Amino acid sequence: MLPSWFTGLLAATLLLLAGGTVFESRLAAPLAQAPEAPRSTPNSPLSIRVVAYTIEAKLNTSSHSIDATETLVYKNLTGQPQQSFPFHLYLNAFQPQSTMTTEIRMSGARGVEADAGWNDKNRGSITVSKIEVQGAGDLTDKMQFMQPDDHNTNDLTVFQVTLPKPVAPGASVEFHMTFHDQLPEVLYRTGYKRDFYMIGQWFPKVGVWWKNAWNCHQFHADSEFFADFGTFDVNLTVPQNEILGAGGDLISSVNNPDGTKSAKFHSEDVHDFSWTASPDYTVVEDTWTGSAGPVKLHVLMSPGHMASAPRYVQALKGTLAWYDKNIGPYPYDRVTVVDPPHGAFNAGGMEYPTLITAGTTWYMPKGFLAPEDVVNHEFGHQYWYGMVATNEFEDAWLDEGINSYVEAISMAALYGENTSMINFPFATASEAQFLRIEYISLPDTDPITRFSWKFISDNAYGSVTYGKTGTVLLTLEKVVGQQTMLAALHEYFLRYRFKHPTGEDFLKTIEDVSHQDLKWYFDQAVYGTNILDYDIWDAHSDRLTWWEKEISRKKTADEMYRTYVTVHRKGDFIFPLNVLVQFEDGSTTTEHWDGRDRWVRYTYDRKSRVASAQIDPGDKVMLDRNFFNNSYVVDGDSRAIHKLENMWLFASEWISQFLAWIS
Amino acid sequence: MPSAVRPKTFVSGAGLVWRWQRILWWIFIVNLVLAHFAIRGLVDRVRPALANSSASQRLVNGFDLTALMELAVRPDSPLETPGPVVFHYSVIFAIFMIFCTGGILATYVFDIKPTTTAFFEACGHHFWRFVRLLVYLALAFIPIGILIAICSAIHNRMDEQSNSPYPAAYFSGASSLLILLLLMVLRLWFDMAQVIAVADDETRMHRSLRRAASLLKHNFGSLFWLYLRISLLAGIFCGLGLYLWMYQLSPMSITLAFLLTQLMLIFWIASRLWQRASEALWYRQYQAAIVSEPTYSPSPTPAPVSYSAAMN
Repeated sequence: MLPSWFTGLLAATLLLLAGGTVFESRLAAPLAQAPEAPRSTPNSPLSIRVVAYTIEAKLNTSSHSIDATETLVYKNLTGQPQQSFPFHLYLNAFQPQSTMTTEIRMSGARGVEADAGWNDKNRGSITVSKIEVQGAGDLTDKMQFMQPDDHNTNDLTVFQVTLPKPVAPGASVEFHMTFHDQLPEVLYRTGYKRDFYMIGQWFPKVGVWWKNAWNCHQFHADSEFFADFGTFDVNLTVPQNEILGAGGDLISSVNNPDGTKSAKFHSEDVHDFSWTASPDYTVVEDTWTGSAGPVKLHVLMSPGHMASAPRYVQALKGTLAWYDKNIGPYPYDRVTVVDPPHGAFNAGGMEYPTLITAGTTWYMPKGFLAPEDVVNHEFGHQYWYGMVATNEFEDAWLDEGINSYVEAISMAALYGENTSMINFPFATASEAQFLRIEYISLPDTDPITRFSWKFISDNAYGSVTYGKTGTVLLTLEKVVGQQTMLAALHEYFLRYRFKHPTGEDFLKTIEDVSHQDLKWYFDQAVYGTNILDYDIWDAHSDRLTWWEKEISRKKTADEMYRTYVTVHRKGDFIFPLNVLVQFEDGSTTTEHWDGRDRWVRYTYDRKSRVASAQIDPGDKVMLDRNFFNNSYVVDGDSRAIHKLENMWLFASEWISQFLAWIS
Repeated sequence: MPSAVRPKTFVSGAGLVWRWQRILWWIFIVNLVLAHFAIRGLVDRVRPALANSSASQRLVNGFDLTALMELAVRPDSPLETPGPVVFHYSVIFAIFMIFCTGGILATYVFDIKPTTTAFFEACGHHFWRFVRLLVYLALAFIPIGILIAICSAIHNRMDEQSNSPYPAAYFSGASSLLILLLLMVLRLWFDMAQVIAVADDETRMHRSLRRAASLLKHNFGSLFWLYLRISLLAGIFCGLGLYLWMYQLSPMSITLAFLLTQLMLIFWIASRLWQRASEALWYRQYQAAIVSEPTYSPSPTPAPVSYSAAMN
């Protein structure tokens, strides 16, 4: 979910980084070029296709519901006989006592306040009225709800059906289901708002056989994605005035005599299918051509938002090009960007295979790059979730975290190192710094690798999964070099696209590519909750002949000073760092400290006094929780204080004026 | 009201503010000093983090918003919400302004250089009257509050029901403007009541309010236009100042930024005094006109022989 980018400034950035860091920017060894992904063909699919869904669905706009039938052909590639099959029923999460709602009530989620008012319109459900298995007959009464994560018996988001006899390895089983969706008014990701429909997580979806067991988690407030690759053939029947968008190629569309139309979509080598409908969309179409061929860009704009359409398109093209150049080819022939209407903001900022939802408002200043950022981030998920299909429930950092990191560097490349998020003449901010801010607000409550629903709070989930992971990888850039980091991401993508890798797979890929043992870093940054904070404890100079009270002018020139610079490790994260000491005569010296002891002191006898001492020049170690104590400038500069003082003074004066005006 | 007096009030009001500009400077200085104290704690807390750190350059060479955010979100953040302290100092300023209004209006109404003693006598003389007037003002805000709640509900409903965001946005803009104008009318009414209280030494504020309402009713166009013109000028000037500050000034021009922001504030205070002076002048002229047309005179016109005599 939510937002991030990068391209041509790479070389310049690398040069800058190489200049100031102690870390060896060892270039990645040339990697064996994995075959670039071609487009899928009938004889050579891109993925191992485990599932084949065929769905016939009819949207009822008066009751905001869907009646559908589903046929699922599941190919047993688990290597062992399978008799029980778990399915997700996500829409049942929109019930007052479900696990997702309970978690939201506890600490909020995705901008939904814990005490957000739920009303009947916000309820949603999915009812499977019939399930048949080819050769085994009607198994509806064999359905059993299960709650593998929290044993909340009121949560009906997972059910299991047991077949009369197991499915042999390599064999297929065919499920036929009839189901009814009652859509919630959009409060959270999916549902309707007026005549807008964003339909995600809407059909019974089979779990994944992973690590020698079924993996089918309940629908949680902060995670929802993990499924097998396959094909989707979906026939949607909607009123004729509806404009449709879907995560598949439109095969045909025919008008029915009853005022409806039926549109067939086909999608392959994906693990989910979502769609949207609204009579109010304005369709903006474009094309972008990458290394895997042309890609059709469909942007469905809601009323009042057309000013953002060119920004979406430009951001999408830029991101596609960046990924194509740095990570790997985009193998699908389409991307659909859905712009939710006002009031449906919580349906925005979501990712589904080949379909993403963005977000804007009727007035969006150009200097605030939110539309660009959300498109960049959600498109990034086509790689980190879409193709590299990690388990979001258990390893949310592998999709949201990696994606946030790539967002930071790709946005910097596309919109400027310091202006990738906010770019006004009077204020700027970068995406990378935003990630860091997110991280430092809650830096040590949970390790990155915690299961998504086990974080201390929703804020901690966001802070750690997005902010900390992104910051950990931005810092790792300084350890292994940015080019190596990009090479590692490229390699990771090639190795694990259309697979379900784990955190270990990702970390091992970085070690493989960088040829470095990074356990020391991963143990602290990924598996630990250590805080990284070094500060300049002291920096001052003293005359060597301090006992002589009077110094002649002549003697001053030859006066020797003893300078002390003490660096202190405040946190429990050990990290090697550079210390740059500058003297009044302009000379400098750089010290390297392994950062292990609690402190280190450097002493210099020189004719010049210390001017400044600086840990990590250039603030490259983004994990450092406090940049302000990383340096000590002897002759302080009060301009920043005066600047803030003036702003606060002005604000305070106006508050007084306002109060005086109304009294 | 005789039309002959109308054109003069706008310009002459500015002349009054200019002539008695000491009032302006004092208000400005008190506002500045109180605001300075209101934010002192915040500045003192942030000083150790910024004064000797090279990271503070992120706020000097441009304005990196995340540097400020970093100071705010850290668990050991030096930034605490200064809201309550600022509010307390603002309340002190508001009370100061209520206190001074008697002296200010006496100066404008009688247009005689006051001694310090006379000025503060006038302040004290009218203070409790204006406090009572404030209670009436609070009551008058109730219907405005209800109107705001109604507009908000209508806005929410329009926003909820319309597929386009524009109707609700336009409604919101229009209703905000309407509420602003209503507030201005309310201000005009209560300002007039204060002028009457000072000019006629009216002790009963409900009577001042009634007379002010009657005057406003019969001279609404000219009085409202008087206030609106000055407000528009103030808005344009402050908007221009904000634009210069945000878009034209170099991020490193800290002294210039200070001067510009204070200039904006001075102009704002001046424009508010301009409204008060113009209204006082208008009332003076109104009274003079009534004296010349005795059949319309509601009460004998006080003879402003001397500043202190007028107070007694």
